Amino acid sequence: MVIETKLFVKNTALTILALAAPFAALAQATPTPNRLDGSGLSPNAAQLPSPARYGETEVDILGSYYQQNGDHSAVEGGVGSQHLTDTAPTILLNVPLDSTTRLAANVGIDYYASASSDKIDQVMSSPSAADVRYHADFGLSHVLANKLTTLGVGAGVSKEYDYLSFNILASWAHTSADGNRQLSVTGQAFIDQIKLITPAELRVGGTRNKNYGSDNRQSFTLSLVYAQVLTKRLQASISAEPVVQRGLLSTPFQRVYFYDFGPGGLAPGTLGTALAEVLPRLRVKYPASLRLTYYATDLVQLRGFYRFYNDNFGIRAHTFELEAPLKVTPFFTLYPFYRYHTQTAADYFAPYLAHSVGDEYFTSDFDLSAFSANKVGLGFRYAPLYGLGRFKMPFGKRITKFKSLDLRYGYYRQSTGLTANVVSANLSFVMP
Amino acid sequence: MTNTPFFRSVALGLLLAAGLALPGCVSVAAYQKAYLNDEDMKLATKKVEAPEVNFESYREGGAGANGGKVGGGCGCN
Repeated sequence: MVIETKLFVKNTALTILALAAPFAALAQATPTPNRLDGSGLSPNAAQLPSPARYGETEVDILGSYYQQNGDHSAVEGGVGSQHLTDTAPTILLNVPLDSTTRLAANVGIDYYASASSDKIDQVMSSPSAADVRYHADFGLSHVLANKLTTLGVGAGVSKEYDYLSFNILASWAHTSADGNRQLSVTGQAFIDQIKLITPAELRVGGTRNKNYGSDNRQSFTLSLVYAQVLTKRLQASISAEPVVQRGLLSTPFQRVYFYDFGPGGLAPGTLGTALAEVLPRLRVKYPASLRLTYYATDLVQLRGFYRFYNDNFGIRAHTFELEAPLKVTPFFTLYPFYRYHTQTAADYFAPYLAHSVGDEYFTSDFDLSAFSANKVGLGFRYAPLYGLGRFKMPFGKRITKFKSLDLRYGYYRQSTGLTANVVSANLSFVMP
Repeated sequence: MTNTPFFRSVALGLLLAAGLALPGCVSVAAYQKAYLNDEDMKLATKKVEAPEVNFESYREGGAGANGGKVGGGCGCN
């Protein structure tokens, strides 16, 4: 059985590599400031023990479509279209190598098109710029002989036209003997290399010079999560996740226009009077969060989340989220959700034409402005006891169960005027 | 207005309440965990929620501590 599993893992890895190779060759030009991330492994979430079937291979096929609109493009100095679409298919694998060790993989792409990235070169009539990002993360977890401690390691890579990122992580989690408490610690480091693509008019050697320089960024995260069963119906977790980032933290193709800067007699705000965004090369973030789940009745459960955030850029934020899953039948769940976020502006933010050229740091990126945001949406999950269907894999004789289907829609609106719609789906399969 | 003393008080209150409540909770035996083992009781974001967590982490300067990415892989910060 172990040999069979190892062969399957090997075959799966080879298949993924074979599939990834042609995609990697398709990497396109034109970066965008509004890109989305396909995410890697998520080691940060606390998981109190549940009766999972450790022998099963789990495969999740995730897909999402995201679309946003707004009028504060950072590429154009805080004005201009923020229209963007992103399509992100992802495959998550969780394979038992033996009774104590599991291999996890998260492989996917992001295909995005952005109106604002056309404006890096000021080509006014071109179609929306597009790019593809590829990412792959792998993790290994092992339960020690005491069955209470889990160790994990992981590594990953992501690549797009102007950005290359590697990450490694290590984790440790210990559960109490009665299964009512868990403490987990995860450390993660990202080593990134960034191609310095500046707005066309700021390029040394002329607008057609494509010999960009490069810079780097390192991010270090420590995640501490404590989870606790409070009653038969209530459990909670608290977490702290300090982050230190060093290196290039600004985006070199984002313009900033100044009210008092007009070289060569140009009027401030006209093309040629902007500089590329400049931010400090060190950022320290201090987020802390509380998560609660409550089994109110057999019909309704409540899932709550609160996060406090603070950093040395001067941003302070609060986020509340509430979800109320309604069990329409034992196998069909509807879950409406609502989220509220509010934040103060970074010390270095000012909108279009509000910065002085004497400022040491400057940005007109509205992601760093003061705003509040509301998100509302609805999702459903259909998970029949015996699955939605069973079939044989094309290669091999293993029976695969189509276990569940999750579909979710969210509408997001910021006080800056930015709106977004996102639809996501998860098709979950298991192989005994 | 986006960051009032009210929010600060709520934040501190919640964290304090959690700190006080967690050590004082009851012990629940494995056979009493039918409700806690429900799929919707997991103390984590759902897999299908990942795309939303990602876009929020890029569109909002104040993000983190929610299982989303906090660095790397993207030219945004």
